[in-house]
Formats: sequence, structure tokens, C-alpha cells
Amino acid sequence: MHYPWWYVPNLTSPMLIALIATVHVFVSLYAVGGGIVLAGEVSYAYKVNNKSLLDYLKSHTLFFILLTVVFGAITGVGIWWTIGLASPLATESLIHIFVFGWAMEYVFFVLEIVSAFIFHYYWGRLDAGTHKTIGWIYAVAAYISLVLITGITAFQLDIGNWTPDKGMWVAFFNPQTFPQIIARSGASLLLASLYIYLHAAFKLKNDHQLRALVENRTSKWAMAGAALVTIGGAWWYFNIPPSAKAALAGASALNILSILVFAASAVVFFMLFFGPYRNPGWINPGFAILYFLLGIAATGTGEFIREGVRKPYIVYNYVTGNNVLVSEIPKLQSTGYLNGGTWTKAFMKAHYPQVFDTTGNIDDAKLLQLPEGDQVKVGQVLFQYHCNNCHSVGGFSGVAELTRGWSKDMIHTVVTHLAKAHFFMPPWCGTQAEAQMLTEYLASLSEPSPPGMRFGKAVNPALKQLADGTLREEGGK
Amino acid sequence: MNPQFLIGPVSPLGSPAPFWFITFFKVLGFILHMIPMNIWYAGMVLVAIYATFGKNHSLELAHRLSRTMPVIVAVGVNLGIVPLLFTQVGYYQFYYPAGILMAHAWFSVIIILIFAYYGVYVYSLSVRKNKSTKFALASAWISSIAFIFIGFLFANNFSLMSNLNSWIHIFNKTNVGGAVLGTGLNTSDPTLIPRWLMMFGLAMTTTAVFIAFDAVFFKKRDTSEDYKRWAGKFALILYVIGLVWFAAFGSWYIFGAMDKSVIAEVTAHPLIYFLFGLTAVSPGFVLVTLFVQRKGLKKGGVILATVLQVVTLSLNAVSRQWVQNVEIFRYEDISKLPVNTQWSPMIVFLILFVIGLAVVGWMIAKIAAVEKQAANIS
Repeated sequence: MHYPWWYVPNLTSPMLIALIATVHVFVSLYAVGGGIVLAGEVSYAYKVNNKSLLDYLKSHTLFFILLTVVFGAITGVGIWWTIGLASPLATESLIHIFVFGWAMEYVFFVLEIVSAFIFHYYWGRLDAGTHKTIGWIYAVAAYISLVLITGITAFQLDIGNWTPDKGMWVAFFNPQTFPQIIARSGASLLLASLYIYLHAAFKLKNDHQLRALVENRTSKWAMAGAALVTIGGAWWYFNIPPSAKAALAGASALNILSILVFAASAVVFFMLFFGPYRNPGWINPGFAILYFLLGIAATGTGEFIREGVRKPYIVYNYVTGNNVLVSEIPKLQSTGYLNGGTWTKAFMKAHYPQVFDTTGNIDDAKLLQLPEGDQVKVGQVLFQYHCNNCHSVGGFSGVAELTRGWSKDMIHTVVTHLAKAHFFMPPWCGTQAEAQMLTEYLASLSEPSPPGMRFGKAVNPALKQLADGTLREEGGK
Repeated sequence: MNPQFLIGPVSPLGSPAPFWFITFFKVLGFILHMIPMNIWYAGMVLVAIYATFGKNHSLELAHRLSRTMPVIVAVGVNLGIVPLLFTQVGYYQFYYPAGILMAHAWFSVIIILIFAYYGVYVYSLSVRKNKSTKFALASAWISSIAFIFIGFLFANNFSLMSNLNSWIHIFNKTNVGGAVLGTGLNTSDPTLIPRWLMMFGLAMTTTAVFIAFDAVFFKKRDTSEDYKRWAGKFALILYVIGLVWFAAFGSWYIFGAMDKSVIAEVTAHPLIYFLFGLTAVSPGFVLVTLFVQRKGLKKGGVILATVLQVVTLSLNAVSRQWVQNVEIFRYEDISKLPVNTQWSPMIVFLILFVIGLAVVGWMIAKIAAVEKQAANIS
């Protein structure tokens, strides 16, 4: 509301963040884990003087650069782009708290880029010692990038002891930072190994001996990664705020997905143990693709859960999902949501100047005097700025479906008791008059109950009305 | 509607650093970003043209540029993060609304950039493998057009940041229930086109200097004296074309499109007047340096031209920043917003920045030694 809201029909603009962030994390974790594995394996190959292994690692480094330096780097910038468009207030807050954290990460990012190119393009031209050192510079820089970014995303889930008067370090060392660093470190090693299997399965299709060596050595990194994911994941779970734990327990989608993550991780671990670790050479291209897809599924699901349990906040206890500072909610509830938002107020001034009082504020009484059609239109403005972060109209998490069969009274009750009806939703941040406008708008969208549903001879009058299809006519549209 | 109604509230957290610090790093980052960005912006157009129509030296130029282009794009994109970061800290009340009003176009930058960058790689790898294909050639063209289009979108966003009247115009035209569709562009702004095209002229001049630098310092073993001579002449011609282009669109921007109040500010401050004058004449020094070397590039001369071009870009960046501040201060003096300096993170960042530079320096020294050794052997 302090910024214009970007309306993306059927999808909601924050879903674009999820889209970009998910594809980015598949590559960025590889950028970190792959860097560590490559540095380690190149050091080993030099130590045992295995030229064919070095040649393979060189070819893998080109694949690594093409994926991480191009796609990974640009989608990383893309996350910034998108959060600024779809969650501007939360981004503004995070940037103010962590600007120097990001600036530090940038320094390491520069080191990553420079060392990655030198590592690849000067392969065979630098002496072994320098080449190994540059590989490790990349690995360390990439890992510190992971640490810095994880501290920031962890802060979003639990701000710990941070208050606005405290600085970046208190924010960074929040209760979620270390569990998430461990989990992500593991995920990066695990995912990097799966990328290597995928590449080696095709690249070394006809060199069974070398492929077996690559698989066997990589499986150790992968199993270490799987162990770290388990430790970090468990630590994460025991450390998340009660609201997140409740969200995890209460949302059937989230607990099914949690089970899927653990199941996929366990399957991958056993496949690693009995496959490349005990029987190197087993991984053919098909098997490698399956491994890879399982890893991607587990990573994507894990990230989805991490984001999902944060609701109703974007930054825990500081910025709500609808881009409102927690500290402004009481004022908005008394003086109005439309009145408190820069762009909502500007819109109202341009379209409904008659609802403003002499002090330049929106008068609730005048708002309620608007014709019914205009009340619906004002309700739409409230919907866009209060609800559209998470709900579309008829698409993703669409309110038309979510309120199917609801009476106006039910809608109004839920609107005015949002946080009580669903603890993972922010509270209603407007006045009673505004709640009425939003109710009018939602009622205009709400779909009727599906016809043909029977519940026997209903005694409860409401159920009877539902059964004969008269409930909506009475209380709905 | 009063455009000032659309400026959001100040962050209650306060600015994490003084305004001068934010501006300094924003400008420094922009200068560092502009160098590689200029090279890919005009350079990829040259690659596409000469890869298609070039022969002998011009074809060789296309191949040489395309070999280094993946690294240039990577470094440039990376360095672009710095000004973006500090813009978001210091100019958030203007940066976010501008982006959101043209959200689809702004979001598309990421997707277009991915295609453009992979296009650069496709052509570059085809040159490295000596396998020129139609697909590779098409990729070079797509990349060059994509980069120019991205430049157009950047010119839109950054001109929109300081044109609040356009905010109202776009908001009124493209909202659904008060939420914007994100389909706006700042096309009604008279500064948009000259701003966008002016940068291409500057990019040509930087690319010209880079061509001279490349001929003297890169790929020594396979650089013939003949090519070096040709590159010197070509760099001079390209610089002249770029300069004329820059002067034409720069004049249009300043005298034909820029807000009169900004020009009044320039003439009111002798120091700024001098800065603008220096910015205007600075490419002339580079031109003279290249002209002197038209019959043969020399190491010292090329280094001097490079340094002078960096100075030119720096002056340009400072002038642009000054203009942006004047335009934004009309609505709000953001230099006077509350500051809550985060001293220890700032100090840690500065220390890491110096360490980072030292490590980069060490790595570059290592590869320079390798290159020198290779040159001595040949």
C-alpha cells in the first residue's frame, strides 16, 4: 500500500518470486557444493597425478560455469528484481537491515566469478599449486556467499532478539541461521553430486573405469551432504517459531510435502550407498536423471516448506505477508487501510474525493454512503492491497473458490477475524466500514455451493438450505 | 493529482549509511559496471555485423571480441549489482514504484538477459571450436538486439524514477482496482529516447578503446602487426562515430528534452557547470590519444587512452548522478532522511572489500605472469 501493488491475474505477483527463487536455488546450491567438490577433486587428481580425471573435471568445469555463472548469477539478480516488484516493503526493510551483508556477499561474488573463470580458462596453464588455490578460493567464496544469504533468509523466518534499534549482527545471528546453514550446506553437496552423476553419466558413457572412480568419490560428498541435510533439517524443525510449527502441523499440503522431503532424501541416501558407493559404475544416464530429479524434487519441496511456514509474515513479526509493517497495524485499524496507504489513498482521492473529510482523511461514514456498486469497487481496492499477495480472484488460491457457498455474514466474520480464523493469515488491518466494502466485493466473487450435494434429511436449517440450494440466495449474492 | 502524494513513507529503520556513502558506492559501482556493459552493449553489435559481413581483420575483430565477451558479460552483470544495491538503499521511495509501474517489462529484463548471455556463449564457443554455424550467427544477432532492448528498458526505469508525472499517467491508465498491471513504460517522457541512444554512443567510444587495448595486450601470440595497425585505425574511426553519436543525442537530451529547472541548476552552480563542461570535453582527450596512434598502437598510448576513457565514464556517471539527485530532490530531499549508521557491518564490509581486491589482484597477477611467460616463449 505504500508502494503500488502489481496485479498479476490468476497467479499473484509473489508467485513469480517463488518461480525465480526455486529455479535459482537448484543452480545456486550447485554453485556452492560444486565448487567445493571440484576444488577437492582437483586437489586429489593432482595429488595422485590422474590426468584422465583432471580432463574430466575440466570438462565438468565448463558445464559448471555455463550453468552457474550464467543462469545461476542472472536468476540470483532476478530474485532481487522480483522481490522489489512483488514485495517492495519487505525488500526495503531487508535492504536497510542487511545492506552491508549483501555488500559483503557481493565481494565474495566477485571473487567467485573471477576465480571460476581463471580456474577454467587457465586450466593447464597455471602450475598445479596455483590452480588448486584458485579452486579453493572459489569454493570458500561461494560458501561464504551461502552463509551470508542464508542468514538473511533465516532472519525472515525468525528475527530472534532483533528489534529495529538493533543492528545487522543481531539480525544475522538469529535462531534459524545455523540450522539453515547446515541444511543448505548439505543440500549443496548433495545436489552438486547429483549434477556430477548426471554429467558423468553422459560424458563418460564409454569410459567405465573413470566413471566408476568419479561416482565412487562423489558419493562420499553426497552422503556427507545427505547427513548434513538431516542434521540441519532436524535442528531447523526444533528451532522454528511455534507459528511455523503449527503451520507445518496444520496445513495438510505442508506436512505431506515434509514427509516427501524426508522420504526422497532417505531414498537418495540408500540409493547412494548401494549404488555409486558400494557398486560404482551402476549409474547409467537413466539412473542419473532419476537421481537428479529426486534431488531437485527434495530441494524444491524443502524450499517451498521453508517459505510456506513463514506465513503470515514475510519478515517474522516485522512485515506481514501483505506488505504491512506490524507496528502500523493498530493505526491502520483505527484510521483505515485505504487512508494509511500511499497508493490506496491516492487512488481514493482521484476516484472518490467525496469520501474525504476536511482534514484530508477518509471518513468511514462517507465511505458507507457510497452506492453499492462503488462499495464493491472500493472493496476491490482493499482486496488488491490487503489480500492479493496470497490470493488471486479465480486462479491460485482464488477467493472465489475459497468462499464458495459462504454467506455475506460468514465472509464478514472471516474478514474481521482473519488472524483468528486462520493463524497463518495477517489480521484485518482496516476499519469496520472497510471490512464491509471488502465483504461486498468478496461476496460478488464467491461461487455458489456445488449443486446436487445431499446430507440426508437435514435437521439443521442451514444444512437443509445448503442441501436444497437456497442458502446462497438468502445470505449470498 | 499532486505527484508528491505518491511518494511512500520513509523507512522507520533509518538509512544504514550516510547519503554521501550510499551515493559514492552507487556511482563507483555504476562506473565499474559501465566499463564492461559498454563493451558488450556496442561490442555485440560489432560482433554480429562483422561475423556476418566481415572479412579478414574485421572478421578477426568479431572473433576476438566474442572470445572475451562471456567474461565481460559476467563481470559486468556482477558489477551491476553494486549500483542496484545502493539505489535500493538510498532511492527506494522512487526505485520501487518506477519498477512496479513497468513491472512486466522490468521483470522481462531477467529473461531477456539469460537468452542474451547464452547467445554470447553460443557464438563464443563456436569461435573457440572453429565451427561457425547459422545458429551461432543468429545467436550473436539475438544477443546484440537483446542487449539494446535491455538498455531501452533500463532507460525507461531510471527516467521513470524521477518523473512522477509519468507515475500518475501510468497509474491512471493501467490499474485494476488500484493495483497496477505493470504494463507501463515511460514513453511519454521526452528524455527517454535521447537518454537511451546517448548511452549507445558512449558505449561505442568505450568499445573503441577496448579494441585498441585488446590488440595490444590480449592474445599477443596470434596478433599480427597488420591487425594491430588496422585495430588502431578502426578504434579511431569507431571512437569518432561514437563521439558524434554521443554529442548528437547528448545535445538532444540536454538542450531539447531535459527539464529547464535542471539546466537552471547547472548554470546556477559554477562547480557543476565546470563538471558538465569537463564531462562534455573529456572524450576529446581520448580522441586525441587515439589519433596520435593512428599509424600504430603503442602500449603507453593505449594505457593512457584507457585511463582517459575511464575518467570520461566516471565524469559521465557523476554528472548523471547529479542530474538524478536534482530531479528527485524536487520532490523530496532524500539526502536529509534519518540515518542510523551500521558502523561495524560497514567496517567489516570495507575490510572485506580491500581483502577481496587484494585477492583479485593476486589472481590477476598470476595469470598476467602466465601470459607474459607465454609471450616470451613465442
